[in-house]
Amino acid sequence: MDFHIERAKVLPKSNLAKFLEGLKNLSTLIAPVKKGDKFIFSEIEKVSDVAVNYTRTILPPKKFLVPYRRERFSYSTDTLQFNKEFKVRDQIIFGVHSCDLHGISILDSVYLKENPDPRYLEIRKRTVLIGISCMPDEFCFCLSTGTAFPDGANWDLFLTDIGADYFVTIGSPKGDEIVLKLRKLFKDIEKKDLYLYKESTSKKKKAFKLEKLPDLERISQLIELEYDSEVWKEGSERCLGCGTCTNVCPTCFCYTSVDVPTLDGKKVKRIEFTTSCQYPYYSLVAGGHYFKPDRASRFKHRYYHKFVGYPYQIEKLGCVGCGRCSAECPAGISIVETINRLRGIDEKELREATEQASSR
Amino acid sequence: MKKSLEKLLNKPLPVDPFMPQRAVITDIEELAPDHKKFSFAFCDESVNDSWNHIPGQFVMLTVPGAGEIPISICSSPTRKGTVELTVRKVGRKTEVLHRLKPGDYVAIRGPYGNGFPVGIMEGHNVLIIAGGLGIAPLRSLIWYILDRRHRFKEVYILYGTRSYEYVLYKEELKRLRERNDLKCLYTLDKFETEEDRRWADRKGLLTELIPMVELEPSETFVAVCGPPVAYRFIGKELLKHGYPESQIFVSLERKMECGIGKCGHCQIGYKFACIDGPVFPLWDTKNLPEMI
Repeated sequence: MDFHIERAKVLPKSNLAKFLEGLKNLSTLIAPVKKGDKFIFSEIEKVSDVAVNYTRTILPPKKFLVPYRRERFSYSTDTLQFNKEFKVRDQIIFGVHSCDLHGISILDSVYLKENPDPRYLEIRKRTVLIGISCMPDEFCFCLSTGTAFPDGANWDLFLTDIGADYFVTIGSPKGDEIVLKLRKLFKDIEKKDLYLYKESTSKKKKAFKLEKLPDLERISQLIELEYDSEVWKEGSERCLGCGTCTNVCPTCFCYTSVDVPTLDGKKVKRIEFTTSCQYPYYSLVAGGHYFKPDRASRFKHRYYHKFVGYPYQIEKLGCVGCGRCSAECPAGISIVETINRLRGIDEKELREATEQASSR
Repeated sequence: MKKSLEKLLNKPLPVDPFMPQRAVITDIEELAPDHKKFSFAFCDESVNDSWNHIPGQFVMLTVPGAGEIPISICSSPTRKGTVELTVRKVGRKTEVLHRLKPGDYVAIRGPYGNGFPVGIMEGHNVLIIAGGLGIAPLRSLIWYILDRRHRFKEVYILYGTRSYEYVLYKEELKRLRERNDLKCLYTLDKFETEEDRRWADRKGLLTELIPMVELEPSETFVAVCGPPVAYRFIGKELLKHGYPESQIFVSLERKMECGIGKCGHCQIGYKFACIDGPVFPLWDTKNLPEMI
């Protein structure tokens, strides 16, 4: 066999079904499928179910790396010997958008940089990520967060739509291995393909309405300076405290751990489940003291953690601009709107209006 | 982009930081109503031998069947062979813990957190201010300093609690008062019984003891631990008397599930109380909103 070095390949769209079939034969295939009016990431039985042209799924692919309810250990109260309870399987997650790939990179940093979590590491080692290019809708603002393109994220293959074909970039040896296994489906790249690939970035950029995008420059300092702003209070008055925004977030990682005994109390399972900083009990300590007692402080905490906390903790912004929190919020609170109000967009209009009035 | 992935993933499977070590309760001492001091020894001898911690650090203690709780270590690393934790019965898990007997198993992982900066405190005066159960993590620091007494200059201990009944480590604190290489000032909220009067130097708040301390503030490191409401008042009083805020260290409490910066509950501003704390210089109040 020849020593295999490839940078990129072309996958004709007509071969996509065969490609997915090939992936499914390699291991468990997870991909976006349509559910009602929305899309979800789901395990694939029939490759014809896979929805390639979707904008966003309800939940990010995070649920296959950090399940929303997961077991850590089991132990018996007599011996107190702890047994690991996590089962890991090989999986391929297909059709992940750039923002979610960046979201997974952020989770990688959280779980693996310091005190690496062996369960996450094991799952992550056995997961292949195949990304796909996308076009933004009115909620997307990944151009502001710098996550509109998959540079800097951890992925194995990335499919960019260039019309009749997908331009497939190879991001890791695992991705290369898949291309090698399914090489009959691919074509070599031609000059025209590379040209179209290069053009695709500006095409995506043009699809954003620039005036609608939030300005995230200096956002950390801004939030620290506006810590006592009225904007937080006003936002929290609309907020229901349901925690949807954090549950649909591709970068939120907070969890709660509980020991659940069997009825006779002999066997205990340590279960972790995703929690939300929007819930009052998040900051409750024994004795009944709440460190974040009111909704405004919890509402503010989410923004503070995304834009001040993450940069300190993992040196990246905690927001990838996927727009899920804005799209799913039952109270219609938009992260972009909150940021714009913090930046004083309303004030600016107001100031300009008064200036105009006074100059007249 | 490829490198960052490989750096993270191509590591051998690490030692599981979530895996606790089995330990046995060797002794339980009832210190005050609802306050017990538990002594533990690890079942694995090698863990006992290698155990080392910094005063102010904490452990995650598994109470069988109930769950994990973060508890400050109250024994000094200079006294090896046992780990001691003082626990107040205040919630579901601590109530189960209080029902355990010597010989029962628990599981411990740690030590976690940064602890007090004992290295840079050396060569300076040390002022220790404890309110109520706050004496527990500071007991570790007190014995650490006293076992290396020559490395520190003047030492003051200020301790305030409700009444004599609630004074923790009564015998130890009595003996400390008799020593001539440190000064102890104790206060009580109540002055009802004869014992209260005999114990306390003064009736009233902990902050009222601070003016009685005769130390050069710029040469002094301050270690504070107490109930959440106390920090603001103690901090203000210390600053008023000229103690530099970079030399005042407070040990803070937060909800914790993991102790290693994964669960997110303990965030104070942008820092994690579990890995960046639980000991913070008072200076950090400028950085971290809602710290105290």
